[in-house]
Amino acid sequence: MNRERNAAVASVCALVLWVSAATAQVPTKGEHNADLSGVWTNQNVPGTGEWAIYTFSKDLPEMTAWGKARFDASKPQRGPRGVPVAETDDLVYKCYPPGTPRIYIHPFPMEIIQLPGRVLMIFEYDHLVRQIYTDGREHRTDLAVSWMGDSIGHWEGKTLVIETNNFNDKTWIDRIAVPHSDKMVLTERLHLNDQGQLQIDMRIDDPVALAKPWEFSRYYRKTDWTIEELMCVDNATYTPFEDALLEFDEEKAE
Amino acid sequence: MSNRIGLGFAAALASLATMQVAAHHGAGVFEPEKKVTVEGTVTDFQFVNPHVLVYLSVKGDGGKDVQWGGELTSPNRLARDERAVKWHKEILKPGDRITVTGHPARNGAPMMDILKIVDAKGTVLIDDE
Repeated sequence: MNRERNAAVASVCALVLWVSAATAQVPTKGEHNADLSGVWTNQNVPGTGEWAIYTFSKDLPEMTAWGKARFDASKPQRGPRGVPVAETDDLVYKCYPPGTPRIYIHPFPMEIIQLPGRVLMIFEYDHLVRQIYTDGREHRTDLAVSWMGDSIGHWEGKTLVIETNNFNDKTWIDRIAVPHSDKMVLTERLHLNDQGQLQIDMRIDDPVALAKPWEFSRYYRKTDWTIEELMCVDNATYTPFEDALLEFDEEKAE
Repeated sequence: MSNRIGLGFAAALASLATMQVAAHHGAGVFEPEKKVTVEGTVTDFQFVNPHVLVYLSVKGDGGKDVQWGGELTSPNRLARDERAVKWHKEILKPGDRITVTGHPARNGAPMMDILKIVDAKGTVLIDDE
């Protein structure tokens, strides 16, 4: 009797184990349709060098009255309205995160790592990381607003489509102070183009700040580099040089 | 020079302490339409983020030594294959004779945004002219 009961218990245990194993092996929606992994660096389109280092398009996007008021009140360090560092209200100069998509303007590489159900973007600048979930989950609703946003991705053919929301409204979209609200939604489409570049087509929807969506693209060249350290706080090591430069007094020097 | 570094270090600490971390001044302080070339002896070489810094002693008018300073991009970028010569933290050392060309400071300071460095053997270490 005991033997029969033990056999039955063993069978049930085996069934449970089998079901658990089978459940664990069920393919998730996390498989990837293309290999975008690698270390990528900015490759601006020829002729865009002047503005591509501080914004995403030659012309400003159309802003709402709310957006224009914020834009006019800001003091960017870069671009046609650039002011000295001491006068800028650009939070990045105090080492706050640049946010998404501004992180793409920084002239340092980023690495894409594809894991089951997830894509990681590791940026050299300040070692910022974006986690893009591709396992079919929805955006979370229990997160505090954030600098880099909450990113959910899915594949459309060989294009990775990422939707990012849940931003705070402290960052600028670019380095010349185009503003956004906490209603901003960034949609990115990442794919390998005919030149072997990683092409990221972006669209920003923000009915509070922008009168219509702002669309632009950035391009990346694949490298054999590794992501190294580049911490914003190291800017302090530059202070002596900067001070000597800005406070130079020619009369005293002579 | 040691005083200068010491003061600089104190300033850096003070900046960190107040969280008022100074950052890049942008290109406006240099004159992009002008270039200056000086030859001198390296007195200090800092292969650090965010900008690699080179200081050199240059014989000025009347035989007086003038301390010049110049900045480059980040060490990460100088060490990568974007460059014909890959830089490293010992590519320059005090005592090296170099010729440096760059955009000079707008306010007349003996400082520049470095475009080109040639060492005593004539090797071009960087050339963004």
